[in-house]
Amino acid sequence: MKAQDTLLYLDGVSVSFDGFRAINNLSLVLQAGEMRAIIGPNGAGKTTMMDIITGKTKPDAGDVYFNGEVDLTRHDEAEIALLGIGRKFQKPTVFESHTVEDNLVLALSGPRSAFSALFHKQSANEAERIEDILYTIRLNGKRDWLAANLSHGQKQWLEIGMLLAQDPKLLLVDEPVAGMTDAETAETAKLLREIAKTRSVLVVEHDMHFVRELDVKVTCLHEGSVLAEGSLDFVSNDQRVIEVYLGR
Amino acid sequence: MRLNRLLSVFILMLGFCCHIAQSNAQTVDDATLRPLVQALAGDNFENTTKAISDLVKTGDPRVSKILDALSAGDLYVAKADKTVFLGKRDGSDYAATDPLTGTKLDPVPRSSAEKIKVNNRLRRDIAAAIGGLTLMSDNIAERRSAAEAILKTRDPESIPLLDQAIAAEKDAGVKVLMQQAKAAAVLNSDAADDVKIAAITEVSAGNSRDALGLLTPLENVQGPVGEAAKAAIDSINTKLAFWNAIQNVVYGLSLGSVLLLAAIGLAITFGVMGVINMAHGEMVMIGAYTTFVVQQIIRTSAPGLFDYSLLIALPAAFLVSGGIGVVIERGIIRFLYGRPLETLLATWGISLVLQQAIRSWFGASNVQVGNPSWMAGSFDLGLITLTWSRLWIIVFALSVFAILQLVLKKTMLGLRMRAVTQNRRMASSMGIRTPWVDALTFGLGSGIAGIAGVALSQIDNVSPNLGQGYIIDSFMVVVFGGVGNLWGTLVGAMSLGIANKFLEPFAGAVLGKIVVLVLIILFIQKRPRGLFALKGRAIEA
Amino acid sequence: MITQWFFTHVDRRGGIAIALLVAIAFLVPLSNLLLPETSPLHIPTYLVSLIGKYLTYALLAVALDLVWGFCGILSLGHGAFFALGGYAMGMYLMRQIGPRGVYADPVLPDFMVFLNWKELPWFWHGFDNFWFAALMVVLVPGALAFGFGWLAFRSRVTGVYLSIITQALTYALLLAFFRNDMGFGGNNGLTDFKDILGFNIQAGTTRSMLFAATALFLALAVFVSSFIIRSKLGKVLVGVRDAESRMRFLGYRVDRYKLFVWTISAMMAGIAGALYVPQVGIINPSEFEPANSIEAVIWVAVGGRGTIIGPIIGAVLVNFGKTYFTAAFPEIWLFALGALFIIVTLFLPKGILGLYGSWRTKLADRAARKKDSAPPPVAAENVHLPEPQAAE
Ligand SMILES: Nc1ncnc2c1ncn2[C@@H]1O[C@H](COP(=O)(O)OP(=O)(O)O)[C@@H](O)[C@H]1O
Ligand SMILES: [Mg+2]
Repeated sequence: MKAQDTLLYLDGVSVSFDGFRAINNLSLVLQAGEMRAIIGPNGAGKTTMMDIITGKTKPDAGDVYFNGEVDLTRHDEAEIALLGIGRKFQKPTVFESHTVEDNLVLALSGPRSAFSALFHKQSANEAERIEDILYTIRLNGKRDWLAANLSHGQKQWLEIGMLLAQDPKLLLVDEPVAGMTDAETAETAKLLREIAKTRSVLVVEHDMHFVRELDVKVTCLHEGSVLAEGSLDFVSNDQRVIEVYLGR
Repeated sequence: MRLNRLLSVFILMLGFCCHIAQSNAQTVDDATLRPLVQALAGDNFENTTKAISDLVKTGDPRVSKILDALSAGDLYVAKADKTVFLGKRDGSDYAATDPLTGTKLDPVPRSSAEKIKVNNRLRRDIAAAIGGLTLMSDNIAERRSAAEAILKTRDPESIPLLDQAIAAEKDAGVKVLMQQAKAAAVLNSDAADDVKIAAITEVSAGNSRDALGLLTPLENVQGPVGEAAKAAIDSINTKLAFWNAIQNVVYGLSLGSVLLLAAIGLAITFGVMGVINMAHGEMVMIGAYTTFVVQQIIRTSAPGLFDYSLLIALPAAFLVSGGIGVVIERGIIRFLYGRPLETLLATWGISLVLQQAIRSWFGASNVQVGNPSWMAGSFDLGLITLTWSRLWIIVFALSVFAILQLVLKKTMLGLRMRAVTQNRRMASSMGIRTPWVDALTFGLGSGIAGIAGVALSQIDNVSPNLGQGYIIDSFMVVVFGGVGNLWGTLVGAMSLGIANKFLEPFAGAVLGKIVVLVLIILFIQKRPRGLFALKGRAIEA
Repeated sequence: MITQWFFTHVDRRGGIAIALLVAIAFLVPLSNLLLPETSPLHIPTYLVSLIGKYLTYALLAVALDLVWGFCGILSLGHGAFFALGGYAMGMYLMRQIGPRGVYADPVLPDFMVFLNWKELPWFWHGFDNFWFAALMVVLVPGALAFGFGWLAFRSRVTGVYLSIITQALTYALLLAFFRNDMGFGGNNGLTDFKDILGFNIQAGTTRSMLFAATALFLALAVFVSSFIIRSKLGKVLVGVRDAESRMRFLGYRVDRYKLFVWTISAMMAGIAGALYVPQVGIINPSEFEPANSIEAVIWVAVGGRGTIIGPIIGAVLVNFGKTYFTAAFPEIWLFALGALFIIVTLFLPKGILGLYGSWRTKLADRAARKKDSAPPPVAAENVHLPEPQAAE
């Protein structure tokens, strides 16, 4: 397969830490507009893969292309974010000493230079977008709360809201429903499906129930490479996948 | 130490024996000598010259004194019986002594004696003769200084004397010196080219700096001699540069050892535990003061043990500094884990308190820590001279490093320490009592700082500010070498020490230090994790 | 209009602080110059200079807090920027001495004559002009900070590593300025100043004017800090402090933000040094001592980092204590200072203002609970310092 016409293209990617191969000859392709779920046991390299896509970790070998042409290995985190790749972290990281609203203000797409930030004035359009997002993530009643005081689930949602505010072409979402109640999980699945209508999404999740609800193509990672790929039913019937999950 | 002293006594005795064996004195009896002395009062200069050379040929040690007197115009001849005597004006008389025996004679009226005349030519002959005579002296130091004197004057006339002396000389060192003096004299004479070239080879084998002085004037001489000189100068310069580099390396290693000693405890607390201990320098300082106290006690109660004082101070300093370290860890630092910047500030506060405590206790000025005898003195290595203390510091630092490596690799504490460093939660769930490991690790780092203080007390002023002088340098070493890696600390300390010493001649000590600091600052920008960086999540957190 | 503009950029506390500073900028000189010495409200000249000195320290503390409290960069080398600003001012004051020096050389300062120098080194040219010197007061520290920060932030040197190399920076400068051939008076530094802008530097009027200038510059610094902190840039800085890498994933070039605030802060510190030198009458290499820079850190910590006026309170309090102790119980001072470091980090991580803030929140909390409605935990004024967390 060629890198052109794809949104995200990983080919033969490897990375090791002090001799330990976290990602091993990994290849993965995501089409524009596609939502993909990534599953795999702990330590399979899912988070590391996101690190590579977002420029946090430089691969030892392999190609990583965005939009068919941009070599992501040559850009740093900030540039990649500006290219239109947003990321939600496994451990929710919101800015705890900022209010919910300020968290969104910081994430909102727009000029990123220090100078423009110094003299920034919120436009009506921006205020409206923040309003929308607050509504979407059900936090409009808590806009003045310090993010530190949110519950775990609310922080996860705030982080998704920040992703939306960034207005990326591709969203990388790492374990979004960890620590959520069933109801929240269902809500989140709904929200992600909604988002996926207009953007491409890569979701990492353990929760099979949640993955089923997403109802998308699934890739199973194991020891840094792809073990199986296809519909959830296909993948979960794969003998090796069963071994990997049950063998542990 | 006992051994050391025995050895030196032995060497002394050996030297004494050689000395006796080597005596070149050839005493001649007075009867033979007397007529020769009388002959000095010959009626013309020619006869006197002959008498001088006859005297010299006897090689009697008394001759040089007589000739000295002659040259100084103190030798008289009585008009009546023509006896030659040493005279000194004393009113209207000469106080007279016998030139050979030195016995007092009856005073001679001035009118009845005559001074033995000398002219310049004679004086020169006398000088050369005396030079030759001391070359034959039975005192080795005199022979050496005679040869050195000729090495300076490069008088071609002394060549025959030198030949004679070289043939008779038994001491290898003096012989070499004489040979070089002869070569120098040859170079200064109008000898044939090939003789001179041989002399050049001879000269350049000797002390390089002297040789340079001898050869440089010849450099511009036309012909083969000039070329040979130039070649010799070049090779001497290379040799000098080489030894200079060796000296820089050795000095650098000893400075590096000081840095290593100061930094290695820090490498444990900072590198292994991630704790920034700004009071580390004070642990070193307390180690130095412990040495002082130990020496005080020894001075008053067991002065004979003074040479062992450092050996006693080592465990004492380790325990004192280590104990204070444990107290600090349990009392303050453990509440600040995960907050490195706060730890930095709190330990800075501790350092102020410790400094002031020592100041209130021992006073603000330096205390006197003595050097045991085996630390004093120096020895030669090739063309350079090294002090024993420099060498001992290197040996000591490397031993501490080796022992520490062993402790970390082979003991239970070391194993637990490494486990806690790599994965605190896993270690604690495996039943390792991480708080105690923390306290002991911190104590170990502090104790080693105390040991470093014992060593530093030997080469630095011991005052309450001692530690402040080392803290920045030690941090630089750890950061430069790479955190969490003792080998990095070793390499870092040694390379910083050597870099400092190599920069010093160009930039001066202070500027050299500044340059090194700036280079480290730039280096950290390039490799933020130091020379030997570990890569991985544990480090990033 | 202007007041409205003012209050969009400054919070209530900042506004009060600015108003107070402006007020003492006028009142203290008036009291010193106009009231008779017998009046209980008369402030003697030595006290004017002493408080003036405290205020220059406060300015340094505000500068330091801007990078440490709001951006998480703990500088152990801000004393270097302070001293550089001081040296720039000192060079101007030296040139003002003219032929009145001991050696009466019309151009060369005494120490150069003493060292047998024949002409003014190139970097001393221009310092006879006040405005040139004033420019250098901000440009020299600013340029050094920019160069240093550019290297450090781009290669992502953070945390204690950064702190340690800032300390090495000021240490290197300390060694350098001790050298006679650097051309800054070596060990003795620059002193024996005669006048500034034509006014006798010892005169009470001049001292009062220097005091007023210091208070006004401090007010300006409070305003600039508030302006920065309340802008979106300030929010980015706090974001960088709390979760630096997260900020990058949002597309912010963190290094540039840090560089901006770092350079501004160094310039403020330079101004503080420049105001300090004419009031104490000397600048020498000891100002570069690493211990000085760390002491400035404790002022900020005591007052409350991450607040705008905390550093001012801390600087004045600690230095007042220092003046008192070093005169009354010189042995105790280092014990007290050391203990202060330990106590503040262990028990008062948010400083005096933080203590006050959490006390107020508690009160508000209790009041709210009485009213039986869930309190929105707004804390616009409170300091909140979570541990920096690495984004995974
Ligand atoms: N920076 C790093 N340093 C060392 N090891 C790492 C690093 N990042 C990831 N790893 C290792 O790589 C493996 C994959 O980790 P990760 O990608 O987090 O797995 P997961 O699929 O659970 O998200 C793990 O064993 C982890 O310990
Ligand atoms: Mg993961």
